[in-house]
Formats: sequence, C-alpha cells, structure tokens
Amino acid sequence: MNLCIRITWFFLTVFIFATDAVTAATAQNIKCMGCHGQTEFLKASTSRAYIDPVKFDSTTHSIIGCVSCHDKVSPAHPIDGYIPPKATCRECHTPVFDEYAKNLHASKAECNDCHDPHEVKLPEFMSGYDINSKCAKCHDSRKTVQKHSNWLPQAELHIDSLLCITCHTGSKNYVIIMTIETRQQEKGNNFKTATYQELSELAASGEVSTLIDTNADNLVSLTELREFNRNLRGRNMRLWGMMTPEVVTHSYSILENRWDCSFCHASGPKAMQKSFVAFPDGKGGYSRVAVEKGAILDILYGTPDFYMLGTTRSTPLNIIGGLIVAAGLSVALGHGFFRFITRRNREESDHEA
Amino acid sequence: MKRKEMIYMTPMPVRIWHWLNAFGIVTLCITGLQIRFPDYINVFGSYKAAIRLHNTAGVVVSISYLLWLTYYIMVAKNLIRIYVPTMEDLKSGVFRQICFYALTYFQGKPNPHHSTPESKFNPIQKLVYLMIMIILLPLVIFSGVLLMYVAPLRELLLLLGGIKILVGTHFLLACCFTSFLFVHIYLATLGHTPLAHFKPMWNGWEEEEASTAEPHEKSP
Repeated sequence: MNLCIRITWFFLTVFIFATDAVTAATAQNIKCMGCHGQTEFLKASTSRAYIDPVKFDSTTHSIIGCVSCHDKVSPAHPIDGYIPPKATCRECHTPVFDEYAKNLHASKAECNDCHDPHEVKLPEFMSGYDINSKCAKCHDSRKTVQKHSNWLPQAELHIDSLLCITCHTGSKNYVIIMTIETRQQEKGNNFKTATYQELSELAASGEVSTLIDTNADNLVSLTELREFNRNLRGRNMRLWGMMTPEVVTHSYSILENRWDCSFCHASGPKAMQKSFVAFPDGKGGYSRVAVEKGAILDILYGTPDFYMLGTTRSTPLNIIGGLIVAAGLSVALGHGFFRFITRRNREESDHEA
Repeated sequence: MKRKEMIYMTPMPVRIWHWLNAFGIVTLCITGLQIRFPDYINVFGSYKAAIRLHNTAGVVVSISYLLWLTYYIMVAKNLIRIYVPTMEDLKSGVFRQICFYALTYFQGKPNPHHSTPESKFNPIQKLVYLMIMIILLPLVIFSGVLLMYVAPLRELLLLLGGIKILVGTHFLLACCFTSFLFVHIYLATLGHTPLAHFKPMWNGWEEEEASTAEPHEKSP
C-alpha cells in the first residue's frame, strides 16, 4: 500500500513540475515573441532575429522554451547590444548528431542548414514536398532530375514521388503519404501542395480533413477516398502520393541497394498496405489521417494518380487478366485435345481424296 | 489425285513486319510479366533491364505497326479487301467458319475457306485481325507511350482518368494479346501439315493441294 502511495506521489510531483515548467516556458516564450515575433524584424538587417510565432508554437522546441537554448540573455537585452550565445544541437540530440557526423554530408551542411530550430518538426508533421525542399536548398531540382536521368528511368516522376531521404539515408518502413495538390496555372502541368487557406475555403465545416474524411472519424475509408477522387475531376486538383519512410535516419549516403529498382518495385503489394493523407494544419505543419488498409491497391479511384510498377498492382485486375489468358490457352489446348482424338477422321478423308 | 501447287501468298514486306511484330509482342509479353510480377518472375536479370527492353520492344512494335499501315494503305492498297469482312462474311461466313473449327474439322471435312493472295483470311481471321490491328494495337501503343512518359504527359493522363486506369487498360490489352498469341499459334498448325501455314510466313510460298492436271506457280 505504501508503495502505491509513493508511486502516486512521484507521478504527481513529476506532473506538477512538468506542467509548471511548460507554463513557465510559455510565459517566457510570450515575453520573447513580444519582440521577435513582430514582423518589423523582417527588415533586412534584423530578419534573422524574426521568429514566426505560429510556426514556432507548433515545434517541440517551443515546449521547452526559448531560454532552454538561449540561456545567457542579459537582463538589459537588447539595449546592451550583447548577442547571447545559443545552445548547440548536440547538447540535446547527441545520438542524431553523432550519426550525422559520421557521413560525408556533415562536412557540407550543419544541422541548422536543413532544420531551422524555430520551425523544425518531426517528419510525420511535414509534407513530402516540404521535406524535399530542405534538400532543394542546395541541390537544384532541375540538375537533380538531369543527374538521375543518367541511370533512372522516368527520373522526374521518381523525384516527384519520393523523398530524397528514401534512397539517400538508411530510413526504413515505407508508407504512402498523400497530399492534396492544386494546379498553379489554369492549364499548366504544375501542381503544388494545397495550402491550408485553399482547403479551408473548400471545407464546409472549416476542418480541412473533412474534405476527404467526411464523417470525421479520423480514418479515411476507401469509399471516402473514392468519392473524393471522383469529385476532384475538373477542379484543378489531384491527390498525390509519395513513398515516405516512417523511420528516418541521418546516415546520408548513396545506398547500394537503392540502385536496384526491385528494392521498391519488387517489394510486393503487402508492403503497400499502409497509407495516410496529410492535411495542412494552418500552423505550417501537417497532420496525418490514416487511410483504410490496402486503399493504395484499389483498382481505380483509391489513388488514381499514384501507381508503383510491380508493387501496387490490383489483384482483381490480375484475376481478370489471368482469365483472359486462360481462355486463349484453353481454346488451344481444348481444340488440340479433340484434334488428337479425332485424327483418324482426317486421315480417312485424306485417303478418300 | 491430289498434287502440290505453289502460291506466292505473303509478300516480303508483310513477312518482315509479321516477324518483327511477333518477336516484339512476345518480348513485350515476357518483359511485361516481369514488370508486373517482379517478386515472382525474373527473366531478364534486373528490373531495369526488363523495363528498358519492354520500352525498346514497344518502340519497335509501334514503328512496325506504322510500316504495316503505310504498306497496306500506300503500297499494296488492299487493306480493306484483305482485312475488312464483307456482308457475306458477316452473314454466313463467320458462322460457317466457327462450325468448321468447332465441329466439321473434327469430322475430317475440308476448310470452307480457301486462301488466295486476294483473299488470304477467312471471315473469323478478318474480324479478329481487324479488331487487333485497328483497335487493340493502336490502343496498347497509345497507352504504352503515355506510360513511358508519365511526367511530361501527365495532363493527358489526368484527362483519361489517371495512371491507374491507364495501367489497368494496358495490362488487360496485353492479356488479350497473350491470349490471342496462344490461339493464333495453335490455329496456324491446322494446315494440311502442322507447318504448312508457317512456311509461307517465312518464304512467302504456300503449298496448296490442287486437283487440276498440271502443276504450276501462281503469284499475286
């Protein structure tokens, strides 16, 4: 009994302290953002000191608070002109830092070059396009397509449908993440991930996920997905899928097994059962809604514009195709069989002639 | 008493097209099988090799189709006479030919259709070949071209209902071709000898059994 009381007291204490810490951090954040969140900071000379308050609020860093990293802010800040030092990423993210430090990419870019600590999010709260845009800051998209075209069939299509980190890190456990895209020009072939603004105007309830998840049960059924895709026609929108790793690593390298197309294309339909739709959350991030298992393999309207050769083949279509082939084979074999057992009839006719 | 008569049945351009087409379609079927079921079938080593070969064979078959169409329309000028069934073919010819394949052939009765350079195909052949050459092959080529250039032709793909509809159509058409191949090759063995119909497709000359007194050679 004593032990139970002690455990309860322990968790209660931890909870109170944690809540206290978060409350304190929030109060501190409000104080900092009072200046750093003002758009006046966007002027060229001070633009680096501007923090987008909406984006920062949705980061894990906002929970621990500004002072966790900027702990040496002087009482007279900013009048004294002292620029406070900041914490290094390694102080908290040692395993990731050490993993990253081991590969070639570490000599080319530091953590902050890809991850703005005031906007950084876990991959599950980002769209594939946003994740790839980090790479595109240095790796020009056009040149990337050109370079991949040397060996990769349909390079542009692959780069549009994959995260760079899918092939260039040791990431694993792949799922399909779908996002709603809108056409940029009326008749162009230029689609971009739809913004929260664009989608909220279309959603009657104001909740963008209800555009597909119409019954708001936080699960997109195949029926809902089909319905949405049927309604998309003529609305200058499309549902675009990207193969995304669930487990992400920072071990950047050109992985040997990714040269082999069968790494993705021969993984079989079982590997393609899990998919999500990522909706913009209005805070610069995305929230994922799970899609009914196997929707990606639906014959027509599940994901009409996403298809992975060899992997997302539809079983009903395979059966229909198999029956067509079997019909031809049966005609040949059946006729051949009767031809064999009636061969004497034709031999007799030849003799008579 | 029967005697042999040689008829020049298949001109060289048609034979070249036929074998180019045959080789191309068989390659497409096998590579296509590996492309769709890579976790079960690996005939050409790597997946990329199968795709490259599939694309190359697709281009060869497309060019060969254009040559075939050009030859029959511009040079031989007999596309309609050879491939389009007449009213007579549709009214009774098709039925007569089905009866032959399904019944009278087994009784030892002769083929109701007698091939000549002017009327090479029986009514069923005409119907099937016309459907294949005017509908199925252009469709499979068209869907194949779209699938070869998905990113640049995305707009057209969206208009047609998306990549899945296109892949499905391409696959089912390929199944129809595979099915046709089995029947086509089998029926080609139904000549007076099993190879009688294969030889003219190789050297152009078909050996006919005739009942007239003197043997002679005919050419179109």
